[in-house]
Amino acid sequence: MPTETPLLSTRAVEARYGRMQVLWGVDIDIQPGETILLLGANGAGKTTFLKTLVGLLPASAGVISFAGEDIAHLRADKRMRRGIAYMSELGVFPDLTIEENIRIGAQALSTRAARDKAEDMYALFPVLKEKRSGLASSLSGGQRKMLGIAKALAADPRLLVMDEPSAGLSPLFVGEVVRTLGALRGRGLAMLIAEQNIGFLGIATRVYVLEGGRIGFSGTVAAMEGDEALRKAYFGLK
Amino acid sequence: MLTYSLLAGLLFGLYFSLVGLGLNLVFGVMRIVNLAHGDFLMLGAYCAFWLYTLFGVDPVFAIPVAFVLFGLVGLPLYYLLVPRLLAARDPEMLSIILFFGLSQVIEALATIAFGTSEQSIPGGDLGRALREGWGRLTGHEIESGPVEIFGQSFPSAWIISGVASLIAVALVYLYLYRTRTGYLTRAVMSRRDEALATGIDVNRVSAIAFGIGIALAAVGGVFAPFMLGSITPAMGVDSTVVSFAVIVMGSLGNPLGTVLGGLVYGVSYMLVQSYLSSWANLLPYLLLIAILLVRPSGLLGKRVRLA
Repeated sequence: MPTETPLLSTRAVEARYGRMQVLWGVDIDIQPGETILLLGANGAGKTTFLKTLVGLLPASAGVISFAGEDIAHLRADKRMRRGIAYMSELGVFPDLTIEENIRIGAQALSTRAARDKAEDMYALFPVLKEKRSGLASSLSGGQRKMLGIAKALAADPRLLVMDEPSAGLSPLFVGEVVRTLGALRGRGLAMLIAEQNIGFLGIATRVYVLEGGRIGFSGTVAAMEGDEALRKAYFGLK
Repeated sequence: MLTYSLLAGLLFGLYFSLVGLGLNLVFGVMRIVNLAHGDFLMLGAYCAFWLYTLFGVDPVFAIPVAFVLFGLVGLPLYYLLVPRLLAARDPEMLSIILFFGLSQVIEALATIAFGTSEQSIPGGDLGRALREGWGRLTGHEIESGPVEIFGQSFPSAWIISGVASLIAVALVYLYLYRTRTGYLTRAVMSRRDEALATGIDVNRVSAIAFGIGIALAAVGGVFAPFMLGSITPAMGVDSTVVSFAVIVMGSLGNPLGTVLGGLVYGVSYMLVQSYLSSWANLLPYLLLIAILLVRPSGLLGKRVRLA
């Protein structure tokens, strides 16, 4: 288990929609540069947890700290400026061009820096450069995910939070997304990927499993593979 | 007669584009229905009227005054009303009720303040200060009389109104497509939830759009004495209905579609005025029903009709 000060840390985080409590005492730690996979079935509370982390849903209890600062009271835009970028399941603005999507990701930067950042993103995702003036809605599902990642990265985040980047993609495109995210490791960027797809295990440093709004497992990929119940649930093994 | 109706229809169409533009911007960004839109237009009209009556201010100079004044009114009004509305379960339905109430309050207060008599400004006084200034500068007087286009005569106020409306549409276009806040506004129009997720300060962007929407209504009001003949505190409801007809025809939620809706409405309005004048008051309602039955997504066909 890592021992240095976590980049992101949550303690006893709870969240609710009206009277319905969805998260129950969730604790996670993410170190700088780590890639964390948050696994869970539909309805386990993954999206709710991510929304609580990035400020789209208020935590009803608990502590959320980022780089040592308590951010639980901050609005989403303030958290983004602290260095947390969020890629939702949709991830892009379909009615805006690819260039505009990336520029919006870089909204906190000056106009010139945002332009430079867009060029950086085109270097990382050349397919987007060819279509930079086209609408995001004209992209294929896989390309939209690339744009979603580029838009989030344009904010120069220290933590990239992603909600089911494989959603709606064929296995071929899922592999492409996994390779893209794998290539981002080693740049000092921490990633938190909420997924049902175990295809992302290959790039994960550690895994949390969310079950019924509670953390049911936390540990390394190897430890997860050694857990019989999880093997059955996620690998279909007996 | 037909040429006159078509050309006058285009001039009125440009004006109606301006009338509907702010309403569509507000709907596009917030997905709420501002039924008090026409009442802000009425207040803009009285702003021009009193500046003219009390201080002799050329209504052309009332345009920036109305824009800034009502823009500044719109910002706090947004924070007072809209965030609570958007937090409700059915913000669209609630917005109809709330803004209908606001419309009634504005009309009642305006009636107390201004009375029920119709007021107007002589058409030739629109742009008089500009004409005089030009005359002093160049030594050539510009007549305030009718302007001839393709052999047809039109009041100069109609031309000024049409040109001002075109400029307003162009400025809104530049704002939306060439400024940073503009493309953040379009991002909110595209997907409000995604805008929040991207860390856009959606309330700030929406408040600015709301302020601009109300300011545009007020600017539309400045030209009302010349385009609609006279002004009264009760004119707000009719202006709101016309605005709705225009934006539903163009494309709900797409401010630039308003221009198409405005032109179609303007030409239809003048054709009906010329050939079936007793039907003219029915026109906005008939067009609304027709477009909803035949092409509910508007002439531009954008899929944004949620209300």
